[in-house]
Amino acid sequence: MSSMTFDPLVRGLQTVLDLRIAQHGLTASNLANADTPGYRAKVIDFEHVLAQAVDEPSAMRRTDPRHLEAGGATATDPLVVELDPAPWSVDGNSVLPERETARMSSNALMYEAVAKGLDHKLDLLRFAVTDGKA
Amino acid sequence: MDILDTLQISATGLSAERVRLQAIASNLANARTTRTEDGAGPYQRRMPVFEAQQLDPFGSALDRELASVQVTDVALDERPGRAVYDPGHPDADADGFVLYPAVDVMNEMVDLMTTSRSYEANANVVDTTRELAMRALEIGR
Repeated sequence: MSSMTFDPLVRGLQTVLDLRIAQHGLTASNLANADTPGYRAKVIDFEHVLAQAVDEPSAMRRTDPRHLEAGGATATDPLVVELDPAPWSVDGNSVLPERETARMSSNALMYEAVAKGLDHKLDLLRFAVTDGKA
Repeated sequence: MDILDTLQISATGLSAERVRLQAIASNLANARTTRTEDGAGPYQRRMPVFEAQQLDPFGSALDRELASVQVTDVALDERPGRAVYDPGHPDADADGFVLYPAVDVMNEMVDLMTTSRSYEANANVVDTTRELAMRALEIGR
């Protein structure tokens, strides 16, 4: 029963939504600390996480969810990267407000895209449970 | 990771920038103040000190990366200030020099601009957070 409503696709989309919200939190954190000396901007390494999810299906895989992770980042515990300050940064702060604002926009756009995907998936389910009338 | 945590972070950013704005206002208003209530020379320039503070030290690995910003101190600029020759001034010393605060108006104006931009950036994050939360409520509608 649960395997149908919460199939891997839905779960995958939910995970990406969670990651996008997490990245939004980091962006908020970065922009709030845009004037804090020594603060380093933090971002989720999406490419790393997604590459692991897509390209390496045969990499270390857990046969039981209670097993410990075999190192590296996962979708639920992603790799957070600290960005180095630019060479001209005098206070060691690596937040570039323009970069963070652009990241925030693209992140919100990706959130919207994934939410839309989830909408369509649920539309299909609704279509099925109403005998194709919805 | 809670959407309200994100709003909390932006709120600390907004209030920190507002404190900085108040410090700049104080500095500009007192750019030519030669005496203070305690009688210890001219006004001293105010400088708020920002510090990143972990929002949830006991949360998940991801939550521990989130940092709010706090104004931990408002430091005083200890530089002696500008000595201007003005023997008629009531605060002139024996040689006729008056000590004015070490407030550089140009410097304060630039700070004012960056503060205003930073405040705007935090306000934008609040807007986007709201949009994301509203979108989440509409999933599957």
